[in-house]
Amino acid sequence: MITKIRKISPWMAWFSGLAVVTAAGASAGVMVFWKGLSLTNLTDMVPWGLWITIDLSSIAMSAGAFSLCAVVYLLGLKRYEAVARTATFIGLLGYTIAVLTLLLDIGRPDRFWHAMVYWNKHSLLWEVTMCVTFYLVVLALEAMPIFANFSWLRNHWPKLSAKLSRVHHYAPYLAIAGLGLSMLHQSSLGALYGVLKARPLWYRPDISVLFIISAVAGGMALTVLASMLSVRATKHANVDNNILDRVSFIIGWVMVAYLYFRFWDALSMTYTYEPGRTEGLHLLTGGPLMFNFWIGEVLLGAVIPIILLLNKRTRALPLWRMLALALVVGGVVAYRWDTNMSGLLIILSYLPGEPSVTYTAYRPSLIEFLSGAGIIGYGLLAFSLGVRYLKVVDHNLEIAHVEESKAVKAIPATGD
Amino acid sequence: MSENRISRRGFIKLGVAGASVIAGSQIIKRAQALETVETGGRKWAMVIDQSKCTGCDYCTLACRAHNDIPPEISWNIVTKTGTVGAQDVYTPRPCMQCHHAPCVDVCPVRASSYRPDGIVSMDYDRCIGCRYCEIACPYGARSFNWKLFDGPNPSVPEWGQPEIERRPRGVVEKCSFCYQRIDRGLALGQTPGVDEDATPACVVACPVGARLFGDINDPESNVSKVLKGRTSYRLREDLGTSPRVYYLSATEEQQP
Repeated sequence: MITKIRKISPWMAWFSGLAVVTAAGASAGVMVFWKGLSLTNLTDMVPWGLWITIDLSSIAMSAGAFSLCAVVYLLGLKRYEAVARTATFIGLLGYTIAVLTLLLDIGRPDRFWHAMVYWNKHSLLWEVTMCVTFYLVVLALEAMPIFANFSWLRNHWPKLSAKLSRVHHYAPYLAIAGLGLSMLHQSSLGALYGVLKARPLWYRPDISVLFIISAVAGGMALTVLASMLSVRATKHANVDNNILDRVSFIIGWVMVAYLYFRFWDALSMTYTYEPGRTEGLHLLTGGPLMFNFWIGEVLLGAVIPIILLLNKRTRALPLWRMLALALVVGGVVAYRWDTNMSGLLIILSYLPGEPSVTYTAYRPSLIEFLSGAGIIGYGLLAFSLGVRYLKVVDHNLEIAHVEESKAVKAIPATGD
Repeated sequence: MSENRISRRGFIKLGVAGASVIAGSQIIKRAQALETVETGGRKWAMVIDQSKCTGCDYCTLACRAHNDIPPEISWNIVTKTGTVGAQDVYTPRPCMQCHHAPCVDVCPVRASSYRPDGIVSMDYDRCIGCRYCEIACPYGARSFNWKLFDGPNPSVPEWGQPEIERRPRGVVEKCSFCYQRIDRGLALGQTPGVDEDATPACVVACPVGARLFGDINDPESNVSKVLKGRTSYRLREDLGTSPRVYYLSATEEQQP
């Protein structure tokens, strides 16, 4: 009996470790709400930093949900349904991470609802806010059948559980809504930067294209990676390796498309000197962001994972495949960080004469790191609970799509 | 159950009412915009004569006092930008009150908006503090309240008395052409740019008369006359923002 109590299971260790990180982050977050943004290293020169990167990245990592749901419910490739289920759960968590980070980042979190009431149709940030809000609702609906799977709920509230799982009949409609909303805001997050004429490096249409392509790759990569890690960590997860292999192959090709556009995007900027833009490009290719760009984004973030994922032999080896997927995720995050920083570290003078360029610097403060880690810790914690109690990674699960194909046609009759 | 149904209906009604209020406000706004175009209403502009400016910074200090700005924020910045002959040349920079203001376009909650008189105004009760406008402004004219300003204002009372409410922590703020002075002055029958009480504090405080203020749509105003007689320029005209702050260059001939 005594030995049983002393023994800490790996699950408990993982769970409590994450709980500590989340709690530390939560206290840092409370400090930020209480003392304000002066606790950060953000300035009027660099008003967006680590948190905006977490925000952009978590939304990108959630893109597996809309892309895989579209594949399953709109293209009709039902064999990916179980992966889409995992992606939907990750998406729900990713968007809550984004909302939490945004609440930290804005100066007046008590006014978060203002965008819903005071519309500015010209503002991409307004459009993103609306899309994120609506998509969070779509994701919550899409995730209802997942929550219906919670055995405690099924035992204690069988009717509620049945109701929740019936939402699955609307999956194709939710997939259309999710696709539309995601196509809008995933690219708008890039356009947010692209429309600013005052920032010559950003002022180009390509960022929006790159944002959505990299989000699709990163989102699917995180989904497959999380599934593979779960199945190695716990017996609560089951995967169909063939399916994950196919998705990984697709990710490899999406990364080829991304690298191709990124290549032209960067290369086209090397022609003619443009004040601010050329200096920004130099920050990336030869300045303080050089390592991030060449190693983080290009070599480790794209070239190596493309080789590992498109080569049949390396893709078949779980360790290589997981490494490649982790690199894709890292590369997408690096791209978000570099995009934000390369535009902000350059200060283009407004004074008369030829526009002159000065540089500034930014390094996140401890409180920014802590609260950021806490929010990510929450995401990992919630995902782990999902794997254990909601079976979010379970490719053997009956999703009842045999009867569903009939039910879809008979939607008016399903509401009793 | 029936209660539920009523509340749902009530909710929908509320939604419809909300939507019509929004639609109504849009229509009214559009009508107002049309009116100003048709009647050629007032458009306030500032002229800064760099041949006169000595870089004394009185404008910045008067601005801090009248608008109750914390010491770490400046709505107006005076930068040395070279020399002409033996004299230093300065470029003071208030908010440009752009005709096509990037900050107004990007704000997700319409906290920045155009007044009919062309001034880009801030609604500090609406701003959520996302700082997108700061990033979009090509002139660095916007500042964020990283801290709460709760101490005494070091510029008060030497440089004037606060005329507007202090901004809370967590919102962005910027120069307003002192529209509180303009509006009050107009209500009292004064002429902004002529009567000191109706003119922006920085214009009044300038000891060498380097700043002029007035209605650019009125051909008889001092700004219109000066701009007709001398060559002027605006900052970053290439961006198409169409600022309402005009500069008169310091040139060799105009040196005393």
